[in-house]
Amino acid sequence: MRRASRYPLGDVTVFSLIIINKAGGLIYQREYQAGLRSLSTNDYLVLAGTFHGVHAITRSITPKLPLAQTSPATTTPGGGGSAPPAGYSYPNPGIAASGLEHLETEKFRLTCFQTLTGTKFLLFTDPMTGNVDTIMNKIYELYADYVMKNPFYQLEMPVRCEAFDRHLGAWLRGRT
Amino acid sequence: MTVYSFYIFDRHAECIYKRRWLPRPASIAGKSGQSATPAISAGGGQTVRATDDDSKLVFGTVFSLRNMVRKLGGDDDNFVAFNTSQYKLHYYETPTNIKFVMLTDTKSPSMRIALQQIYINLYVEYVVKNPLSPVEHPGGVGVNNELFEESLEQFVTRVLS
Amino acid sequence: MAAPPRHSAMLSMNSAVATPQPMPGDMSQGPPQSLTPQPSQGLRVPSNRKTIYDRHLNRSRNAELSRASFAYLFAEMVTYAQRRVTGIQDLEKRLNEQGYPLGLRLLDLLFYRTTTTSSSALSSSSTSSSPPNRPLRILTLLHLIHGPLWRLLFGRSADALEHSVSPDTPNEYMITDNDPLVNAYISVPREMNQLNCAAFVAGIIEGVCDGCGFEAKVSAHNQPTEMWPSRTVFLLSFGESVMEREKVLERSGIK
Repeated sequence: MRRASRYPLGDVTVFSLIIINKAGGLIYQREYQAGLRSLSTNDYLVLAGTFHGVHAITRSITPKLPLAQTSPATTTPGGGGSAPPAGYSYPNPGIAASGLEHLETEKFRLTCFQTLTGTKFLLFTDPMTGNVDTIMNKIYELYADYVMKNPFYQLEMPVRCEAFDRHLGAWLRGRT
Repeated sequence: MTVYSFYIFDRHAECIYKRRWLPRPASIAGKSGQSATPAISAGGGQTVRATDDDSKLVFGTVFSLRNMVRKLGGDDDNFVAFNTSQYKLHYYETPTNIKFVMLTDTKSPSMRIALQQIYINLYVEYVVKNPLSPVEHPGGVGVNNELFEESLEQFVTRVLS
Repeated sequence: MAAPPRHSAMLSMNSAVATPQPMPGDMSQGPPQSLTPQPSQGLRVPSNRKTIYDRHLNRSRNAELSRASFAYLFAEMVTYAQRRVTGIQDLEKRLNEQGYPLGLRLLDLLFYRTTTTSSSALSSSSTSSSPPNRPLRILTLLHLIHGPLWRLLFGRSADALEHSVSPDTPNEYMITDNDPLVNAYISVPREMNQLNCAAFVAGIIEGVCDGCGFEAKVSAHNQPTEMWPSRTVFLLSFGESVMEREKVLERSGIK
């Protein structure tokens, strides 16, 4: 009951979690609830690599809107590597262009969170769920704690941290 | 709601129709109606090149995502839409494997019904039922007829915005 | 007997410091007007009797240190210790060696803090009348480790203190921590499941024991339970000489 008051948006069904390193390699995959078809390890590796590429493409096909011809001197919003080419602006100027963030299908919803360091967290949930961002933040927090602070974890390598599994599993079970 | 672009891909993965809408500049937004939204296919050489590349990228994206979704959700699952911080991409696939893709702003509601309506009320009516249009449409032949383009224009400007 | 020489050494050192006028940058002594005039040269103590040794260096609200900083530092220590080790035992030995000097040094601070609260006179050298604060018996030492040392290090007491039930090993004692701070973020790989990084803490305990004159070997062992997956038991086995002395002290009734 304590949880219900903390997360008023209701229950969340988390199907599975995938973590992809900055090179597109699969470093973590866990299923929490049945609902999606489970694939072979090899298929998951392919999926991670494919998604990594698609994610980059979805950023590059961001619509580029020509700035008004009458004022070519208008400055485009600066944003590092994700700034639009000169003479064009993105639909939401001021926000850096991102890759795919949410994907909806009839059966599930995929939320992708990319950290500033390039690691991607893919969370598969029920399409009816809200506050996925809360879960994502918590996962990132647990990752920072139990993976990055573990002296036996080698960066960019598959995550095999028992404490991470345990805390994440307990937290997700506690919510659903 | 703003529509940025619209694509149709046939069953051979070829882009048979594409169209981009530019947002009307704020200064002349109130003055003119539909005539102020030019189709980008009449734009300069550089722009055409960019959109040509875009259509291939768009197809690659939706094709990969569709396969991924089917792999995970089962063969009866369908990829509906995705969004980034800048835009939202809507997807609709007909049983005959024609793919309709529309890029809109991030705040738009689901366009699944709208894409279905474009298919049923516009594509089937003015392209499929058109006796002058060929069965296949390489390079967009038969799709780019006046009736279809005009009614798509009206649909996007009147119904969707 | 380590206590009297330590005390006299401190006196002589501080008398040397006390003769010149107050140094401008000396924060430990406080402003000069807060000093109580001492009858003779000796340790200079502010009027509120709080020297730098009495307080935590960290003056923030709850005197807390960043747990994350410690976790990163300790992770790096483990990584460092892992270089060129031959096996798990070697790694644990290295961690133990990293903790040992810390225990030796911590002991002085621990004694200093406990003496200033229990015995009143600091400058008076009449140590004979005040109760001896260095543990002489094993049980006193174990209570010191279980309570004050653990509180100093981790902010809470240890969870259990036991004596070995086996008649063959009367020299073995066990201190249990249900959730050691050092292991909070550590997942040991399956192929190294014998390893417990709390060997570092075992080293600290060993340092404390040695500093008190109790020769001992301390090791950390995993004893996970359903509720406490990182429960750790520190096994203290005291040397022969300690056990012999213990018997003598018991006969003469020294507590």
